[in-house]
Amino acid sequence: MSAFQTMVPFSSPNRALSRREMLLRGGAGFGAIALASLMDDSCLNANEVVSPSPLTARLAHHTARAKSVIFLFMEGGPSHIDTFDPKPAVQQLAGKPLPSSFARIITAMGEFDSPVLASKRKWKQHGQSGLWISDWLPNIATHADELAVIRSCWTNGINHSGGVCQMNSGSQFAGRPSLGAWVTYGLGTENENLPAFVVMQDNKSAVTNGARNWSAGFMPAVYQGTALQVEGSPFPNLSRSKNISDDQQRLELDYLKTLNVKHRESRPDNTDLEARINSFELAYQMQSNAPEAIDLSQESAQTLEMYGINKTPTAAYGRNCLMARRLVERGVRFVQCYHGAGSKWDAHSKIESNHTKMCSEMDQPVAALLTDLKQRGLLDQTLVIWGGEFGRTPQSEKGDGRDHNPTGFTMWLAGGGVRGGQTYGTTDEVGLHAVEDRLHVHDLHSTVLHLLGIDHRKLVFLHKGRPERIDQNEGKVYSKLGLPT
Amino acid sequence: MSFPTFNHSKPLNMITISDFFKPVLIVWCAITPWLNAQSPAEQEHFETHVRPILTKNCIQCHGPLKHESGLDLTTLSSMVRGGDSGSALVPGNASESMLLSAIRHESLQMPPDKKLSDAEAEQISSWIDRGAFWPQGQVLRAITELTDKDRQWWCLQPILDPVPPAVQDSKWCRNEIDRFILHRLQQEGLAPAPAASDEQLYRRVHFALTGLPPRYQRSFDSGSEDPNWYERMIDQLLTEKSYGENQARFWLDLVRYADSDGYRADALRPAAAQYRDYVVDAFNSDKPYDRFVMEQIAGDEIDPSSRQSIVATMFLRHWIYEHNQRDVEGQWQEILDDVTETTADAFLALGLKCARCHDHKYDPLLQKDFFRLQAYFAALHPREDLPVASLEERQAYLEKSAAWEVATEEIRLALYELENPTLLAKATREGFEKFIPEIKAMILKQPRDRTPHEHQIATLAQRQYDVHPDKLPEWLDKETEAKRQQLLAELAKFDELKPSPLPTQAFVATDVGPQAPPTWIVGDPEKIEVQPGPPTIIDESPTTIGATHPALQTTGRRTALAQWIVDKKNPLTARVIVNRIWEQHFGVGLAENASDFGRLGEPPTHPELLDWLASRFMEDGWSLKKLHRRILTSGTYQQSSLGAIQPATEIDPANRLLSRMNSRRLSGEEIVDSMIQASGELKTGEAKRAIYDKVMRNNLPAMVSLFDFPDRIRSVSKRHRTTTSTQALMLMNNDWVMKRARKILESLTHHDSAEFVAVAYQTLFCRDAKSDEVAAALVFMEDYMLRTPEPDLLEGPSDSTVAIEKVAAAVDPNEPIVGASGKPKSKDEKVSTENSKSNSKPLPPLSRNDQARAAFLHSLLNSNEMIYVD
Repeated sequence: MSAFQTMVPFSSPNRALSRREMLLRGGAGFGAIALASLMDDSCLNANEVVSPSPLTARLAHHTARAKSVIFLFMEGGPSHIDTFDPKPAVQQLAGKPLPSSFARIITAMGEFDSPVLASKRKWKQHGQSGLWISDWLPNIATHADELAVIRSCWTNGINHSGGVCQMNSGSQFAGRPSLGAWVTYGLGTENENLPAFVVMQDNKSAVTNGARNWSAGFMPAVYQGTALQVEGSPFPNLSRSKNISDDQQRLELDYLKTLNVKHRESRPDNTDLEARINSFELAYQMQSNAPEAIDLSQESAQTLEMYGINKTPTAAYGRNCLMARRLVERGVRFVQCYHGAGSKWDAHSKIESNHTKMCSEMDQPVAALLTDLKQRGLLDQTLVIWGGEFGRTPQSEKGDGRDHNPTGFTMWLAGGGVRGGQTYGTTDEVGLHAVEDRLHVHDLHSTVLHLLGIDHRKLVFLHKGRPERIDQNEGKVYSKLGLPT
Repeated sequence: MSFPTFNHSKPLNMITISDFFKPVLIVWCAITPWLNAQSPAEQEHFETHVRPILTKNCIQCHGPLKHESGLDLTTLSSMVRGGDSGSALVPGNASESMLLSAIRHESLQMPPDKKLSDAEAEQISSWIDRGAFWPQGQVLRAITELTDKDRQWWCLQPILDPVPPAVQDSKWCRNEIDRFILHRLQQEGLAPAPAASDEQLYRRVHFALTGLPPRYQRSFDSGSEDPNWYERMIDQLLTEKSYGENQARFWLDLVRYADSDGYRADALRPAAAQYRDYVVDAFNSDKPYDRFVMEQIAGDEIDPSSRQSIVATMFLRHWIYEHNQRDVEGQWQEILDDVTETTADAFLALGLKCARCHDHKYDPLLQKDFFRLQAYFAALHPREDLPVASLEERQAYLEKSAAWEVATEEIRLALYELENPTLLAKATREGFEKFIPEIKAMILKQPRDRTPHEHQIATLAQRQYDVHPDKLPEWLDKETEAKRQQLLAELAKFDELKPSPLPTQAFVATDVGPQAPPTWIVGDPEKIEVQPGPPTIIDESPTTIGATHPALQTTGRRTALAQWIVDKKNPLTARVIVNRIWEQHFGVGLAENASDFGRLGEPPTHPELLDWLASRFMEDGWSLKKLHRRILTSGTYQQSSLGAIQPATEIDPANRLLSRMNSRRLSGEEIVDSMIQASGELKTGEAKRAIYDKVMRNNLPAMVSLFDFPDRIRSVSKRHRTTTSTQALMLMNNDWVMKRARKILESLTHHDSAEFVAVAYQTLFCRDAKSDEVAAALVFMEDYMLRTPEPDLLEGPSDSTVAIEKVAAAVDPNEPIVGASGKPKSKDEKVSTENSKSNSKPLPPLSRNDQARAAFLHSLLNSNEMIYVD
């Protein structure tokens, strides 16, 4: 019998469900066959009555170190050629067009034939590993030995919308669940009093594609990311109406519960009713837990200083990075922190001033996050991902900028059981195309799942009768990257 | 024949600068075949020996569907790249190639269940040693042969008209549907549940047909006075406008309707709402379903003078669109894929999406079938200015237009040459210069010199920029401008030859012309043309396309497709729509996956009933209203949903056999609509039903979105139904809900608390409160008052004499969530469901008594009884 035939058809809400059925349904009416395979069989007791939460923490397919993810998303596309992938040939070719032998690609701004732009960076080797990192990132460079720098990433989207969408969901085209949703679907959360998947950003501009980036796509909404608001209440609807006191709200919720319990009496086999009663209690808990989780006043002055929260330009992203640490500490599964929200890394012109500013906002907070996770013993179980939706071209644009480069760019991973202090893969001589150990976004996503203990080939969601995977059946785990578990 | 200067073991990052001027080689090695081995003998050897061995023995597990151990053997480069165990192939060196050692069972043992013959292994060995010839661009595919078993797939069989079975104890049966259901229940030793109460049926049917709660009725004793009250209620509700508004919801999900482009800019599509209204009207007028399908696929061809038919073709426009995509041809292919997939999903319940890249793994659908279906849309041409006119009017227009063109050809050409370079150079928005040379060349061709495909691409590209002829006088030098004015004056002399413009419609689709561009399987190196046709398993011959009237300038392909879809002999169409309507009412279709009748879903639980319903449906002139009536008047539908009992819970825990009714939670739209109905705002027109809210793909309506509104990117046949704490937070804390409670309070002017509670139950739950419920409510309100400070103590302006202030002038629960993600929309006057914004100001103060009453109403609005239907 194939896995698909084990699916329990979703039809009737009017009955109690066994644990297995509950897992299959995930409280949501879909064929979550993956959950069954993720469960350790010993947990499956057909008669056990469980809370029908689709977010209950679940066991992984295999042992893994990483338990949570912090994805530092440099939105707009940072230049790999000026940060982690030094290219002497770019300096030599500066001012000349690329040789005609280079495979042509469609560039977003159509300046494929513009002259190569030299990098003004000073490069040094760092750490025991001797990783090359440019002078734009002096603080991150102190963690060189933690970084698994993948120089051979590639993607399909040539525009921000497609690129950001693909880096999140695997597809340039909207409609698929984001990585955070897949991870939450696969592993649930360790703390149901907080959202399982939290997204934040450093400024008030809209992230390209907006909330679609952290959507659950064709999965139930319970797996979608919750955006932490830049101002006011951290999450939508988290705080009570100003007219109502805690006392009043508690009284009303108790009354609501008596109404609902009475209503359920004649409908005992409809567990959805029970789930909805619980959802109000959970919501009530979340009102106090979520503000606590992101309350930075509980942090020491030293910590705040380390993240650069006391000064511009690092304050905004410093806060995000520190909140990210607090959230994973409290069991949040997946945190995504957009830096440069609204494509601020998009240096079509004046890359020198643009990237100087962007790096200076981000470098210290990111380094502090790594330091902080490490000193708290969290780094090994937290996978930190750094990168944008694509890199930038060796050719110039508008004289002093660089265009989008989806065919070769750098991302790095740290913590979470990756083998740091190393580069993986290469781009060609000028950094235009990834050539060796090419790692497509699908491979990256598969690898992230692998590091979390999930087999990307087994984490399947049945959508319209089709078994969907995060990698659209194309990804491959880049196993060189992981430490033995 | 020499092997190229590629050495896989050489670290590529060690390439020196002297290698640098041939860097293309590096890329080429990774992704393209060896060009040196293209001799006929090599080709012959590959085709006769290598391809069959790999196709037959290897690629089932290491091919398009599965990459076991990370290994993909469908291309040479993927073999060289290898899998988890390393490279599988070293061209030119068989002894170093794991492929060979594995098939010889010397390293791995592959295939695991059988060892290849020595002769076969020898063929592979010599092929590798001689350089591993590979036809350029070739990707191996598994060969699918359609078998008799495939042809017996249930949904491909003709729709029969079975006789409803005889059953014992048939008194329960109210119509033929019940005989099918009861027959099956009796086979399993089950019995139907008792009928639901009149009160329950009243509420159930109102929601089922209109998506709105009923108004309270004092007594259900009327049932005894009028034995036909139930049927009369159904007939009445089917005539109400709210019926079409409710039905439109499932259709708009299926056709991925939205009011915006998606992608980053997510631009508004102002005309799209006409399609939504068309759908509402179509359901309300009970447009025959076959006609409804025909209009959406080919309205421009079958009824070009009807604006309704033209608007219907917006079905072909609801794809997401990126306004600055330089890969214009790539985007066009995506659009065609989307239209193909949506058509297969919505009308045929064929999971063709899988077949875009390979033969379907589970269903007898070939990759070719995806493109056979796509070929019907090959000539698709999105238009913003499509004439709405009869054939005669079009004919006259075209003739006049042609005469004018002939007469003015030279002048227009001269003008074009004079104006166009400047216009393009100064084009705004995305501009012209950023396109690749191939696209620029297509744009620069005169439309009549373009191939149909070039015209499609050029016009799609032209959507990215604007030209400004009005600015030419500023831009051109004096002499050129003078010349231009002279030409314009000459051109104007011919104005009388010009036809007067026809009325047009925006955001619709037709064909690019009478000639369709060729379709081939994406990635087919030989580009063999695929002709339009149904799935091979249904009919392998291509469709004969009837020519359309020349005045239409279309291919007739879409009409041919639509006719095939609505042909009564099509085994899918009627079954698909009947099953969807059944799903609406019972929560699950007779066939479970309403948009995929494939083998991944269960076969129908009651195949005869499905066929019987489909036959009646066609016999009734494809009338959906009659279908609803037939289902709703069945005894099956009128069963109680309460109290599942043994042995049903054991034998049929999922209730697929329908020994009781399934209860359901309301959709997001129904929840919103129920609240504004209760508050009276729907009746007064202060608020519109949720179906009329704009669907901005990047900023979906907040409230319905929390309650599982789909993303409207791809076709969705069945929404998820989740219960989450974020829903609870919204209902608890968002002032929108509290404002509805206060609005209801405004309308209930009863001074006596007990009477107030009684009326509130009637208004919100559509029933009388029981005495213990009244008592509990009174206690709650009393307690609440004790915890409520006098209004004087509240901050802000206080007027204790004002019992209730006018709140919520405008009502829009679906104001998109702003905050960190979205662009804040400045609609300050509107009531937002977004917390931090809408709750930034305290609501006007109320007396303690009214605060308690509002809290009571708020509780009822949030209760399970409010949002579940028995």
